[in-house]
Amino acid sequence: MAVSLAQPQTRSLPPRRILPGFGLSLGYTLLYLCLLVLIPLSTVFIRAGTLSHTQFWAIIDDPRTVAAFKLTFGASALAALVNAFFGLLVAWTLTRYSFPGRRVIDGLVDLPFALPTAVAGICLSAVYADNGWVGRVLAPHHIHVAYTQAGIFVALVFIGLPFVVRTVQPVLQDLETDVEEAAASLGATRGQIFARILLPTLFPAVLTGFTLAFARALGEYGSVIFISNNIPLRGEIVPKLIMDKLDQFDYAGAAAIAVIMLLASFALLLLINLLQWWSRKRLGMA
Amino acid sequence: MSIEIRGVSRNFGEFAALKDVNLLVETGELVALLGPSGSGKTTLLRIIAGLEYPTAGTILFHGEDTIRRDARSRQVGFVFQHYALFRHMTVFENIAFGLRVRPRALRPSKADIEARVMELLKLVQLEGLAQRFPSQLSGGQRQRVALARALAVEPKVLLLDEPFGALDARVRQELRSWLRRLHDELHITSVFVTHDQEEALEVADRVVVMNKGQIEQVGSPEDVYENPANPFVMNFLGSVNLFHARIHDGEAHIGPSSVPVTAAQDASTIGYVRPHELDILRQHNGEPTIEAVIKHIHAVGPTVRIELARRDNGELMEAELTRERFADLALKAGEEVHVKARKLQVFTEDYSI
Amino acid sequence: MRSEKIEGSTIRPRLATEALPIRILLILVTLIFLGLFLGLPLAAVFTQAFAAGSGPYFAALKDPNTVSAIKLTLLTAAVSVPLNVLFGLAAAWAIAKFEFWGKNLLLTLIDLPFAVSPVIAGMIFVLLLGKFSPLGGWLDAHQIKIIFAVPGIILATTFVTFPFVARELLPVMQAQGVEEEQAALVLGATGWQSFWRVTLPNIKWGLIYGVILCNARAMGEFGAVSVVSGKIMGQTNTLPLQVEAFNDDYNFVGAFAAASLLALLGLVTLVIKSFVEWRTARHEQ
Repeated sequence: MAVSLAQPQTRSLPPRRILPGFGLSLGYTLLYLCLLVLIPLSTVFIRAGTLSHTQFWAIIDDPRTVAAFKLTFGASALAALVNAFFGLLVAWTLTRYSFPGRRVIDGLVDLPFALPTAVAGICLSAVYADNGWVGRVLAPHHIHVAYTQAGIFVALVFIGLPFVVRTVQPVLQDLETDVEEAAASLGATRGQIFARILLPTLFPAVLTGFTLAFARALGEYGSVIFISNNIPLRGEIVPKLIMDKLDQFDYAGAAAIAVIMLLASFALLLLINLLQWWSRKRLGMA
Repeated sequence: MSIEIRGVSRNFGEFAALKDVNLLVETGELVALLGPSGSGKTTLLRIIAGLEYPTAGTILFHGEDTIRRDARSRQVGFVFQHYALFRHMTVFENIAFGLRVRPRALRPSKADIEARVMELLKLVQLEGLAQRFPSQLSGGQRQRVALARALAVEPKVLLLDEPFGALDARVRQELRSWLRRLHDELHITSVFVTHDQEEALEVADRVVVMNKGQIEQVGSPEDVYENPANPFVMNFLGSVNLFHARIHDGEAHIGPSSVPVTAAQDASTIGYVRPHELDILRQHNGEPTIEAVIKHIHAVGPTVRIELARRDNGELMEAELTRERFADLALKAGEEVHVKARKLQVFTEDYSI
Repeated sequence: MRSEKIEGSTIRPRLATEALPIRILLILVTLIFLGLFLGLPLAAVFTQAFAAGSGPYFAALKDPNTVSAIKLTLLTAAVSVPLNVLFGLAAAWAIAKFEFWGKNLLLTLIDLPFAVSPVIAGMIFVLLLGKFSPLGGWLDAHQIKIIFAVPGIILATTFVTFPFVARELLPVMQAQGVEEEQAALVLGATGWQSFWRVTLPNIKWGLIYGVILCNARAMGEFGAVSVVSGKIMGQTNTLPLQVEAFNDDYNFVGAFAAASLLALLGLVTLVIKSFVEWRTARHEQ
């Protein structure tokens, strides 16, 4: 980082930046970034690094850890998949059709961004508990949502809901109607137009939204612990497992699991950047 | 205040935008930097303003080296190509900005600022628009606000980057003569950048023709137009006919005709003739001429342009006649005529455009 | 996550839309899906909070633990939001107005906290400053309490809300370009004058947008704060933690009363957010 701070100064030449404040603003940015983000984050790797290979794998290979990872990744993937489908549908109806209350509903889509996760968790468990508004309907059919793995899925759908909608919406809005009219005038049916013209155009955005929702779901804690039974091997997600280890002062164990989670998150962050670059390129906005 | 550009170079990575440029702009002059895009003219203007730094060389204002002074303290007025008006401020606030940001000791009183802004609004003929926002103005009005804003700080030097570039043809024509009159009134040393040769020749006291980061020629509009220093200047300042010529015994030979030239060496070269320097004769009158056939006649406008093809090698050329001369000759397409060059320019230095 | 909205009608040419029954079906499915996942939970907060009437609701809000949680939440946001505003302004200025090596890497690093699980966000400060770390040992010896105390809560909150302001300011400042600042410079303005008079008014709405999103997250953060807070009622419980504490005690009216305040915060955030989006969209036309 120090390279970019240095301003080559020879005696005959003045500073090369015309606008003032470059050194100050970049310096402050880097300092703040290091103190608040980079140095604290590095502690996870440093702490995990004190473990030997066998110790590390013993923690990761523990049935409880494996079960938590399976549950977290599985439920997140499923929730993101449901969000990809319904997100596309929601984006479609909100941009293409007009119906009463459309603007309000459009604003409400961002609720999961604005509603604290604890509130989401406590509300979802109230609605989907066996005596709740929805749970009451499902319980007689022996379907139980709250305090089961299904509850975790419901919470993850909630928190991931805006991602696909908000990545697909701008692409849908920019789509020219004349392309569809051209296809229709060439004899294509609505179904063919959707499958052959619209879907390929929207696909990168849907995929980006899916990845964003998946990444968000992996780390989610607040909403899930309210609606899950949090029982090890059955209803315990990885963040809850880390929390438990921290409560027992098993910092090395927590760090080992956190390393895996962080690596997964970084890989997804990279993937998201690549996807966004790809979809911009595909849409000719690069 | 005079501006001296001394040995200025500017590199952007591998690309040399300016190569050792030297120029003196006299106090009170209105100078045009003329050149195609990529010729370095805007970079040079920005270096004078302090909005860009030279890789080498320096700028002197009134003999004083400014290279250590930043844009803030150079006291230049700069009019940006796209005006860069502060969009959240009214016209009044835009013009007053430069006075308002002065250190308290140098800041004029509220009443003085208001008086000054009103005076400037009158100067640029925008009296009624003080409370408008830039987005509510036409292009020409924005241009004049930008100018008034630059003049508010009483700059010693006024720099304008493509001042008429973003305007449509009619407004551009009006503003051109207005700017000339304004300069005659205020006499601020001014430099403006343009790629439009007509604009440069019409408005400026002196024209600096630039190409590929270097100055090709400096001179009065008549000077650069009548006596271009090289084929680039000749070409850039208007349309021109090219003839392959042989120089022999102090004469350039084009086909059967020849024109005396100052070049000494015997060589093959290219002769340049402006369309209005070509005359058309019905009869061969003994002078050396080129035989040609009339292809097209464009008789719209103050002059008549005639496209001709040479009989000997079929090459096309263009002549420009006055309406009277055209009427006297009563030319028609397809007719065979004799073409005479009144003035032929030959550049002996090996020069590629 | 800003979205541009189509203004006015969405009437489409006949060839580029679906038959009416399909349209109605799609709208119905959308409404049912959003109702199940957004509408019902939101309605549940308020009905549950008032389940026993308004008396117990307001009594729950006056509970000293709730009051203390509200105070701590406000304090946390009051410290971490300005910190991130300062950072956001500096980062956006450096990145949008200058060219330098490593810019893309810096952009990715700024996004990093978004990719980190809240629990891990809290954990890193425990690892760095907790009792068992070298730094924590030193702090302990000097009687400075950070972890399981208010400073830890503020640190963790600042971490999770780190990118918000910078992320919103960047595109606005980039779109603004540098010409207006250059114009201010040649007119004799100092860097600060140009920043206060030219830059800031131009990015005002982007800044407001970033601040309200940052604030909503700061007040509502649960996971990260949960790790670094000692969860001592009346001392280190923020409002979201208090929701959990009441919930664990089967004090559902208290839990939902506290939750209703946070839900209200969320709704107010959405309204301001929509207003800013509407205003920006109108301004761009």
